[in-house]
Amino acid sequence: MVRRLEGIGAAVESERVGEAFFAVDGLRGIYGGDSAGVTAAARKAVGGRARIGLGATRLAAYLDARELRPPVPVAILRGRLEGGAGAASARTSPGDLIVALERLGVKTLDTLAGISTDQMADRFGPLGLRALRLARGEEEPLRPRQPHEDLVEQIALPEGTAGRQLDRAVELLVDRLLAAPQRKGRTLLGLRLGALLAAGGSWSVEQGLGRPSASPRVLRLVLAPRLATLPGPATALRLRALGLGPPAADQLELAVGGEEPRRRRLGEAVREVRSTQGAEALLKVLPVDPASRVPERWAALTPFPEL
Amino acid sequence: MTTEPRHLYAPAPAEVAVDAAGALFAVDGAAVEAVREEWEVADRWWTPRPLRRRYFELALAEGRSLVVFRDSSDGRWYRQRA
Repeated sequence: MVRRLEGIGAAVESERVGEAFFAVDGLRGIYGGDSAGVTAAARKAVGGRARIGLGATRLAAYLDARELRPPVPVAILRGRLEGGAGAASARTSPGDLIVALERLGVKTLDTLAGISTDQMADRFGPLGLRALRLARGEEEPLRPRQPHEDLVEQIALPEGTAGRQLDRAVELLVDRLLAAPQRKGRTLLGLRLGALLAAGGSWSVEQGLGRPSASPRVLRLVLAPRLATLPGPATALRLRALGLGPPAADQLELAVGGEEPRRRRLGEAVREVRSTQGAEALLKVLPVDPASRVPERWAALTPFPEL
Repeated sequence: MTTEPRHLYAPAPAEVAVDAAGALFAVDGAAVEAVREEWEVADRWWTPRPLRRRYFELALAEGRSLVVFRDSSDGRWYRQRA
């Protein structure tokens, strides 16, 4: 459904299965100048059985789709409040809140909207305030999803490929990945190098870049050592971008040199943070068993060493 | 004072919805758009506590990627950074 709506040009937010919201403002011009044209296009895209509604907020559109008109019972908020920010840690559940409101005689959204913010905050905390904002038509702007992007390149390896040939294969993969048009000039945040093994099974390793980069030299430098951990002959190598960053004109490269002053400054910073924030304030990631196929055995957090 | 190191990437329980054909379609209420990769991990089978997991790397409809696995020992689903 989300993809079909994106197909008509909508920027879609979808946080629950079977439910999607999008703003019609930018689409009216494409579909006849009014919201009815956009609705018709959406109906055509998702099929006739879907319920479609229009409204100034998510809740208003939801009520319209369900053809609910005032007075709307507060119970309708139960589903809207579940799964929201902080819901898991809230002391009061949405169900408890609805029951409590109804006991107090607050049975419709209109009545709820008339309660003061202070009263709701005192009695029902953050969940009550969320309910109040929904009833008053105060919602956060839509957060359209970023359409799923998969930037990946794969190369088949001839039998017996090893050593320098493998390095070259990685170079080729890097060049291909950076040349992929869907990258649109953006930097990479991390990489996953994987292989199909000749003996069966697969292998993969993730490599962060420290900072966003689209420099082929940086990418090759960080990937080359990881090839040494390849457990056996491979029939194919695959390189996947793990996250895309902003476009960068400067093509940041790994800085080398000046290590001693940097170490001294880092040592001073470690001591200062420890003295004010305690021993656990600074930790480092300790690789325990990076080759394990069970992720929780890969690494542990230990105190950052004094320098 | 001796403290045990805190392990990263610990699995967390997940609610995974599977259709009649065995295909994953939602994790913790988020719709699954595609299964990117699927693999099995069998480890420590020689010990009294063997480990056997079926991993799935998922692309969610909202755009995020997520790795979940089904633990064969208890049949439960977990999400994990992997």
